[in-house]
This record gives sequence, C-alpha cells and structure tokens, in this order.
Amino acid sequence: MKRQQVLADFGEFALRSNDLDKILLEACRLVAHALTTKRAKILEIQQQGEILFVRAGVGWEPDIVGRLRMPVEEHSSETFAIAAGRPVISQDINKENRFKIPPFMHEAGVVALVNAPIFLPGGRTYGLLQVDDTEPRDFGDDEIQFLRTYATILGPVIDRLLIARTLRSTEEQYRHTVDSALDYAIFLSDPQDRITHWLAGAQAVFGWTAEEAVGQPTAFIFTPEDREMNQPQREIEAASETGFAPNIRWHIRKDGRRVFIDGSTRALREPDGTLLGFLKIGQDVTERRAAEERLMESEERFRQFGEASSDLIWIRNAETLQFEYLSPAFAPIYGQSREALLDGDTIERWLDLIEPEDREHVFSMIKRVREGERITFAFRIVRPSDGEIRWIENSDFPLYDAAGRVQRVAGISKDVTDVRRNAARLEVLVAELQHRSRNLLGIIAAVAAKTLGREGAAADFQARLKALSRAQGLLSQFGSDTVELGALVRAELAAHVDAQPLKVVISGPKVHLTSGQVQNFALALHELTTNAVKYGALLNSAGKLAVSWQVNRNDKGRFLALAWIESGVDVQPETMNRRGYGRQMIERALSYALQAKTEYVLGPDGVRCLIELPIS
Amino acid sequence: MHEATGSLVGCRILLVEDEYLIVELMSEWLSRAGAVVVGPAPNVKRAIELIEGEENALDIAVLDVNLGQGKTAYPIADRLNELGVPYLFATGDVRIIDNPAHKARPRLEKPISQGELIAAVEKLLADRPPRIC
Repeated sequence: MKRQQVLADFGEFALRSNDLDKILLEACRLVAHALTTKRAKILEIQQQGEILFVRAGVGWEPDIVGRLRMPVEEHSSETFAIAAGRPVISQDINKENRFKIPPFMHEAGVVALVNAPIFLPGGRTYGLLQVDDTEPRDFGDDEIQFLRTYATILGPVIDRLLIARTLRSTEEQYRHTVDSALDYAIFLSDPQDRITHWLAGAQAVFGWTAEEAVGQPTAFIFTPEDREMNQPQREIEAASETGFAPNIRWHIRKDGRRVFIDGSTRALREPDGTLLGFLKIGQDVTERRAAEERLMESEERFRQFGEASSDLIWIRNAETLQFEYLSPAFAPIYGQSREALLDGDTIERWLDLIEPEDREHVFSMIKRVREGERITFAFRIVRPSDGEIRWIENSDFPLYDAAGRVQRVAGISKDVTDVRRNAARLEVLVAELQHRSRNLLGIIAAVAAKTLGREGAAADFQARLKALSRAQGLLSQFGSDTVELGALVRAELAAHVDAQPLKVVISGPKVHLTSGQVQNFALALHELTTNAVKYGALLNSAGKLAVSWQVNRNDKGRFLALAWIESGVDVQPETMNRRGYGRQMIERALSYALQAKTEYVLGPDGVRCLIELPIS
Repeated sequence: MHEATGSLVGCRILLVEDEYLIVELMSEWLSRAGAVVVGPAPNVKRAIELIEGEENALDIAVLDVNLGQGKTAYPIADRLNELGVPYLFATGDVRIIDNPAHKARPRLEKPISQGELIAAVEKLLADRPPRIC
C-alpha cells in the first residue's frame, strides 16, 4: 500500500515538474523511503556506454552525487543488469564472488544492493536505479517488482524531459547566435512586408529599437530615392517569385546617416506554399566599402601618376624580378612596346635591351637594391626602334613588406642622353672660354709692353694683369667657379718671392671664394704683396709676414676674417703718407663690390690689414 | 684732353655697375662733364634704395646689365620705366633682352670710351620728353 502510494506520488510530481534533476532526486528519495533503505541513486550511462555518472541520489555524500563518474567494469553488477535487461540483486556481496563493486560503495560499507535498469521508449537503456544497504538483506519479490515498475515509469519521464531539454537548448543556441550577431541586421516581416521581429543586430545597424520598428513597413529603412523607385516592393516581389532577392544598397539609419548594406531577402513559406513572410539579413559594409573605395582611389591615383609621368616608373617583384608595374613611358624611352617586354617577362629579356658591356654592372646594381640599397646609376641601352645607343639613368630603391623584408624593387628611369651630351658640350665651352680670356689677358700684356715699354707705370700695369691672369688660371684649374683662398694667397706670394721663405706664415681653413669675389680679392692681395716687396716685410730678411684667416658668424651670416700682419719692418717716414692705388683698391673696391669691411693700418713695424668678407 | 664740357651740369645720373674699377672710371667721366653721380650702386637692392630715397628726382640712369651671380639690372629698369626716368644699358653681355620695354633702350657695348658714354648720355637727355611739372 505504501508502495502504491509512492508510485502515485511520484507520478504526480513528475507531471508537475520539468526539472529532470529534481525529479530524479525525488525518485531516489521515494524509493529509499519505500524500501526502507537509507541509500538510493540513479546512474546515467554516458559516453557510449563507457562511463556511469551518479546523476542523483540520497544517502550519499555531496562529493559523489552529481560528480562521480566511474568506468563501466566488465565484472560488475551494473554491467550485468544492463546486459540482462532486468534487476540484479546481491544480498550480501561478502558471500558471493559474481561481481566486483565500485570502490566508493565498498568504502561506504555497502553490502547489499539491487540494480534495476531504466529503459527509454524505444528500448535504449538510460541507466540504473540502484538501491543499497549497509546490512546484508534479502530483497523480496514484491520489492523487486516494485523496483521494476518504478524503473519502467522513470523511463518515459526521463525521456520527455531529455527531449524538452534538447529542444530548449537548440532553441536557446539559435536565439543566442542570432542575438549576438550584431554585425548582421536580421529581421522578419509579414506577407505585407510589415516588420514582425526586429533582432538586436538590426537595432545595432539601423538604430531603431524593436518597439519602434515592429509594425513598420520595411520600406522605412530604404533611402528616399529607392522608395521613389518602388525598390522595397520590387524586392519582396522578386523574393516571392524566386524565394530570394539580393539587397545590396544604401539604407537610412534612425539618425539619418546612410549605411551600405550587403544582404538579401528570403521568402518564408509553409510546407504547403503559403507565404508566411520574409526574412531579411544584411551586413553593414559601409566601412569596408569606404576602405575599398579609398584603396581604389589610391590605386587610381598611383596609376594616373604612373601613366602621366614622362619618366619611366617601374616595380619588380624582388624574388622573381618580374615587373609588377611598368609605366607607359617605357615605350618612348626604350623604343620597344611594353607588351613586347612583358610577354614572357624575365630579367634577361630586359637585360637584352642593355648595351652588352653594361649588362653585368646593371644586374649587380639590381641585386644590391634587392639587398636593401638605394642606388642611382647610369647605363646604355641599344634602342630597338632605331638602333641608337641611349644613356638611361636609374634611381632604384627597395620596397619592404610589413616584416621588413625587401618585397619589391622599384625605380624611376629617364633618358639622360641629351643631358649628358649637353653637360659634355658645356664643359668644352667653359674650357674654351677660360682659355680665350687668359689668352686675351696675355695679348693685352704683350700689346702694353710693346706700346708702353717695361718701365714705371707700365711695369705696374703688367704686374696687375698677371695677378688677374693668375686668378683666372685658378678658376679654370678648379674646374668650377670657385677658388680656394689658400691657393690664391700662395699663388700671389709665390709670384713675388722666389722660395717659400720661413718668414712667411700662411694659415687658415679651406674657404672657397666665388668667381665674383676672386678677381677683386686677387687684386687686393696683389697690392698688399707688391707693397710688402717694395717697402715692407718682403723687402729684406728682417721682416716677417703672417697671413691667417678664419670663418666667423654674426647676425648677418658667415664671413671670412683675414689678417695680413707684417712685422720687423723698418717703416720709412715717407711711406707713412703714401696713399696709393693699392690701398685704395683694398679699402674701396672690396667694400663696394664685395660688401667687405677693411682696416688698413701702417703701424711702427709694418702693415696690419684686416678684411672681413661676407661669404655664403 | 678730357676737360669738363659742362654739358651735363646739374644733371643727376644714377650709375649701376658691379665692377669697382669700371664704376670708378665712369664716375670720373660723368663728374668731369658736370653731372652729379647718384650712387654708384653695385646691386639691385642698393639701386632701388637710391631710386626710392631720392629727394631730387633722377634725370637719367646708366645701367650695367649683368650684376654678377646671375643677377641683372632689369628690375631696376622696370622701376625706372614706372617712374618715367630714361636710361641706357652699358653691357658686355650678348644675351638677348626679352622685355620689349628694355629692348628699345639705347645700349652701349663694353668696353666703353669716355666719348661714347658722354655722347649717349647727352642724347638721352635731349630726347627726354618735357617733364610735367
């Protein structure tokens, strides 16, 4: 009677509850109560029959129920019961040797037990209902019958809850997946295309909440232009007809901002074909699209740059050395079409265009660029179009990948044949010009000598012409339009003093004077020198001369400070008042033409002249 | 031989020339003819300073074209055109003068003699349109 009651109570409980664990616990409690044992548990078969899991139980420690998993032992009462498909009873395990019992039960002092298998509808074994006792015990037939009945009821109850749980978890997973897909706007509409479901992703993309969106026609997220063109209607018509319609266009957010959606509309139908509504899924690709547009724009800009350049711009793959880009200027510069070069593109094909003598050098340059160098070099090509030899100048440089490896070799090439020809011609012209002007000075000196003789004023004239000629000579000697100051000073002194005497000290850093400065400076030096030879430090062995200079800087910029200092000179009173052409040259010409500051003092033991000359 | 003719007495002439030796000589010639030499100026900056700073207007100017380091006297000529001051070029340069306003001006080729300079200056003064007072 008590057991009947137990079955009825359980049946009621199982109907009311949807919680499997609570139901199993109640089942254990009731069965233990009915059989007056302290312990009962339910073992669930897991992992394709490999493991038994203590799913529920009473009379067992908390570290066992819901936690303990044990392997299915071959020689165990449990295995035997599952295989036999009926309850297996051990009255006193100490008196029999049919089965091994699990260690935890042994430790708990279990000596008597019944294992009743629980079957799910369809015959699959769910697990075992196990009743234990710590005293040897004889289980009566009625008790065994009760356990079988009980286990038989448990099966369908467990099955119902397992199915419900599986369904629930699938649905939850589905909902969870859809809700967390914030990058995708997902929503449903009814056959009239009014929104019925508006998921979190749709809110994230369009800004409208579900409360605001549900009930609206889906047209409300289309742009006014598309609404004008009846685009929303066309889309659901297409989806209705074919089941699917793409939706790739601009849409409008709640805040008025436009978003570019890449998505689709699907028609949802009952199995019998009745239209249920539409499922719309779309991704916000505004950013991606903008990035793609920027990339396209950047590529277009580069292409325009390359196409418009009259210099050849090229990029090679660093590994294969094949061209990745070759601008149209190739054809006019190399005298061959791009197609002809790029058809079966290899480095050899390009090297074939180069003058044989230069090939090895050119290839070694390319290899150095591949190693990471930037190089500018020139070489000759034989232009296939006319067979002419042309000079090409290449400025080559490596392009690196994100890892810092040379990924590409690139460069700019131009035809420098004319530039080189002009430079050579100019060099010849400059040399000729210098030759002519020096010649002219020589001729003037000769004419003067013939006309005026070689004495007095004519001698001074000759000497000055020679000083000018020396300055011109230095200008041409340097091959540029500057003269080094030290060279100018030494040349002038050497022209008047036979050997470089110890009494002359010349010191200063390298300073270059421009052609405009050289002529006046040379004449000034000449006047100082001739004056020193006639009256001063270079007249006899007693005098000393120090010429020194340095470069200083003031608020107007850099300037040269040169000091001409004579000493040990026996200054004659009559020379004190001389204010000849030389001194005038120094004081006036330098300040007029060169913005120099000069100070010329005839001291008690010789001339002290300071010249400050702005230089660039 | 080179006595002052007095033909240029009181005439104010701006002299622009970067070479000291040449400017010295030309100043002397013009002074002897009675002219007042304004400057001389070795570069554009100084010349413009003199033009703008003149209380008594210039009568004419003598300009060297090449002032060294690639600089020319054309900016000075432009300013003189604006002011209506006649000028002549004294140059060793054979380069083409592009600006028609400059091309039309009298031009003396270096080396210039005293006679050539004084005659050219006198002609410039004579051809000068009467000043509006």
